[in-house]
Amino acid sequence: MKYFFYQMKKHPLSIVGISVLLLWILIAIFGPQLTSFTHTAMDAEHQMTAPGEFGHLFGTDSMGRDIMSRIIYGSRSILTVALMTSIFSTIIGILLGFTAGYFSGKIDAAFLRTMDILMAIPPLVLSMVVLGILGDSSILSLTLIVSIAFIPATARVSRGVLLTEKSQEYVSAARIRGESHFYIMFIEILPNTTGPIIVEATARFAYSIMMVASLGFLGVGLQPPTPDWGMMVIENKPIIAQAPWAVLFPALAIASLVIAISIFSDFVSKVLIHER
Amino acid sequence: MKRKAITSILLVAVLATSLFAGGAKETALTTKNIRIAEQVPGLITPGVWDGQAFSMNSSIYEYLVEINTSTGELDPVLATEWSTADGKQWTFKLRENVLFHDGSTFDSQDVKFTIERTQDPSIGHLKKQDFEIVASIETPDSHTVLINLKEARPTFIYQLTDYNMCILSSDYDYSSLGESKPMGTGPFIMKQMIPKESAALVKNTSYWQAGLPKVDALSIYFVSDIDASVSMLEDDRVDVVPFVTPVIQTRLSKIDGISVISPYQEQRFVAMNVDEEPWDDNRVRLAFKYAMDPQNIAKSVTQMELGNGAEYNETPIMNMLSEYKPLPLRERDIEKSKALLAEAGYPDGVTVELFYASDHPFGKELAQTLKELASPAGFNLDLKGYTRDVYLSQYWLNVPLSITGWGGRIDPSMLLALAFKGGGAWNESHLADERVDALIDKISSEIDPDKRTGYYHELQELFYEEGPLLNVQVPYLVAISDRIIDYRQPLTMLPQYKYTDIK
Amino acid sequence: MNRTLSIILRRTVSLLITLTVMSLIIFLLVEIMPGDVAQMILGQSATEEAVSALREARGLNDPVMERYFRWVGGVLTGDLGESIYMKGVTINSILWRRVGHSLVLALSAFILFVPLSIILGVLAGVKENKPTDSIISFLGLATMALPEFVSGVFLITIFGVQLNWFPIVSIIPIGESLFNNLEILFLPALSITFVMFGYVSRMQRSSMIQVMNSDYIRAAILKGMNRKYVIFRHALKNALLPTITIIGMNMGWLFGGLVVVETLFGFPGMGSLLMTAIKTRDVPLIEACVLLITVIFSLSTMITDVLYSYLNPRVRFQGGQR
Repeated sequence: MKYFFYQMKKHPLSIVGISVLLLWILIAIFGPQLTSFTHTAMDAEHQMTAPGEFGHLFGTDSMGRDIMSRIIYGSRSILTVALMTSIFSTIIGILLGFTAGYFSGKIDAAFLRTMDILMAIPPLVLSMVVLGILGDSSILSLTLIVSIAFIPATARVSRGVLLTEKSQEYVSAARIRGESHFYIMFIEILPNTTGPIIVEATARFAYSIMMVASLGFLGVGLQPPTPDWGMMVIENKPIIAQAPWAVLFPALAIASLVIAISIFSDFVSKVLIHER
Repeated sequence: MKRKAITSILLVAVLATSLFAGGAKETALTTKNIRIAEQVPGLITPGVWDGQAFSMNSSIYEYLVEINTSTGELDPVLATEWSTADGKQWTFKLRENVLFHDGSTFDSQDVKFTIERTQDPSIGHLKKQDFEIVASIETPDSHTVLINLKEARPTFIYQLTDYNMCILSSDYDYSSLGESKPMGTGPFIMKQMIPKESAALVKNTSYWQAGLPKVDALSIYFVSDIDASVSMLEDDRVDVVPFVTPVIQTRLSKIDGISVISPYQEQRFVAMNVDEEPWDDNRVRLAFKYAMDPQNIAKSVTQMELGNGAEYNETPIMNMLSEYKPLPLRERDIEKSKALLAEAGYPDGVTVELFYASDHPFGKELAQTLKELASPAGFNLDLKGYTRDVYLSQYWLNVPLSITGWGGRIDPSMLLALAFKGGGAWNESHLADERVDALIDKISSEIDPDKRTGYYHELQELFYEEGPLLNVQVPYLVAISDRIIDYRQPLTMLPQYKYTDIK
Repeated sequence: MNRTLSIILRRTVSLLITLTVMSLIIFLLVEIMPGDVAQMILGQSATEEAVSALREARGLNDPVMERYFRWVGGVLTGDLGESIYMKGVTINSILWRRVGHSLVLALSAFILFVPLSIILGVLAGVKENKPTDSIISFLGLATMALPEFVSGVFLITIFGVQLNWFPIVSIIPIGESLFNNLEILFLPALSITFVMFGYVSRMQRSSMIQVMNSDYIRAAILKGMNRKYVIFRHALKNALLPTITIIGMNMGWLFGGLVVVETLFGFPGMGSLLMTAIKTRDVPLIEACVLLITVIFSLSTMITDVLYSYLNPRVRFQGGQR
């Protein structure tokens, strides 16, 4: 722990990044209690009002909804999806990657072939087609589909680290002891591989945010009334000349969150990889 | 490494020069050309035409009659005279010396073919049901058509104004060519079409009406994003953009040289399914109606004032029709709503799912407004939005509460039979009320227009007291450059570009 | 050379297998759609009969596998079928034009971001931890976090609303071709460039730093060789080698970015065609677009891999591992 703070002092940018990330998490948890408006209340009298007027800190959109509340509320869904996606794809990635790397041979070959196939479609195209066809995007379906698109990446990293560890002495020692494969893979090896895996997971976290936002922009993200930041951008594009804040704030929200997570990911990478 | 650098520089140079080269373009101003940006069409063959790309088809095809936008009356187009004595046999005299774009002559065979085609099962003609009432068609000579109906329908002539009933050539293979090479008698001929991108139309020099069309060409761009279309209008790259939203209207109001007009209104039916709880109890239906605030709905959904672009009533008749009887708007009364709900057995309110098409104009806004307005009265609306095709094929007609878009009709009787008669094909509210059915029958067969109007009024009153319907009328808006002169588009949704000129 | 040839062969075979499986997956995925295609086409006014008539006419009632093989057979003979909306209009006539447009757009983006990322990435690596590095790194970080539609919207605001230098809607006027209208490429290409620059420049920077820290480079500098000389003659060559892989790794984002950017700017390319196809449930068109995107994407990853193997002497002469 002390090591973390020491490293943070060495890289001041990481302090900024981590703080912003923590801020967003706090906003997502406690945010809705902070605003006096709800994210769906439509005030017909105050449509497209500028930030600061009538108590709307970030202004209102074309239907008179408070933008700040919508951003706060939207942070919940986007962080939930992104978090669940990174956790889910990492876990599945570990399972698949470890199995493939550990058993080698045919299993490994099958794994690599399957990953090839999955990687043949650009992730955004895959998600967009599946979600567009399904017609109804819930938090669950978004998580599931984006995770599937990310599994090749996490699995490849997991497999990579497993292969590196496989040749270590403690692994052969465990084998000699007669431990089961499961034990060796997840009790012996896994703890030694957390570094790169966690780094990859944080990278996935950042990518998920971008994916979800892009999917929202394309119209296959979360449906109204749940505010989806990407959808807020595209919804309000027609009034960008009259109410630029309606587009600006969601865009800044996306950017700040991704930058914060990227800084965090970089930092984690420096810390954990050096530790090895 | 050096090679890479040099190649990159070269490529950048090439790109740069082409950027500048692209700027030097010539503009041929000797021909008058109206440029239009409209939505990407689906199917365009008449019969299965799904109601997109009106500019294109309405300029290539023609109908027996059309609506005069100034008077609202029917004008002769391919039919010069029409009459009926009993509403059962209709006589049409056709225009002479009219040619199809492929050179063939227009005659009574074509009319017969067009109408009989509606019954062809292999086509899946959208007007099949409407024209089942036709018993037989006779063509005593090349320019006379006798249509015999199975029963009297005084409003039959209006069915021929439906946008799918343009007159087709009996000699042309529309099943193979209808999508790629549309062919009719209209004022413009298809010169070139890039599917899903653009269509170039040119003046029909053999058009039957002298002096028309006024311009030489129509350039139609298919653009899926309305914001992009409007940007093109602002950049003077197009002259007409149909189907704009009120938000865009506000945006354009600040720009000189562009106006937004509203040729007509469309309807949004909010239908309560009377076969399901809680709507089976009229008190609940009334409670819902008392929770509504028409002014708020107009402003939130359409950004327009009630009575000035947006309308609201509780009947299927639109405010601007002659058959409409103005009934008093209810004052919003939340207490009354709650009381009615409690009386009906829902003292703690009720949860209902509201289904709608999320990508249809005004759908989202109306759904969210309804939710906000109904909530204080105890109605908890659970919004279920789906893309239009999913909504229509999976949910519409089978849900407790729905929002659906309906085009206006010059003659509302067809809509009544389909949507509110017991057993009607599009009966969203599952209404099966004998009094309503009786009135609808009387309306369809009554020849005397005054008596018909009387029946309409009776029907409206019934709906007001006990009906399952909210009718929100939303504006259909078109943004046009001020260089456009005489843009006409009647309730049939078919713009009449033959009359339009450009400076 | 033999090595490279065998790699190409192996990868091609692998590619074909992948594509076959992919085509089946795509086909099945699209066919299990909720929502009736025929209903969608005919719209709200359709009756039961009309819908079933259309299903029959379009062959939608045949068993799934039969339809699959019909489709694959068509594809192999070059016939991608007809759009479900346009009888008499082949998908070929719509698609290839758009593919060409997208490739031109991708190329424009390439021309913009590749030299920029490499030069700035290398610069940042060489001047590690100095102010130049901090600025470039931060720029990379910031642009990396902007999804293409975000940077696109910003560009539209600046160039469209304020400055008016470039068209903000990338539509080709009727009767003209893309080559008369190259200015429509600029803003979309720039939007893609932002993200790609972020990723590639950062990776290029790490690669450069790694090389600069390698033993022989440090030895050369310590020995007293001119620093600039060392960088240009030795370090650069090695740092640039992974660049191809780096770009290859990010191709996925480039393709995704194409779709977003084409939709945003209305550019008539493959991406916007796919969007239209999905919105209108045009089954054959969706299948054709996804298949084509998959093919081009897989080809580009394969080419990247092969190029890397060819250029990397270690792989080329010793037979490296995947």
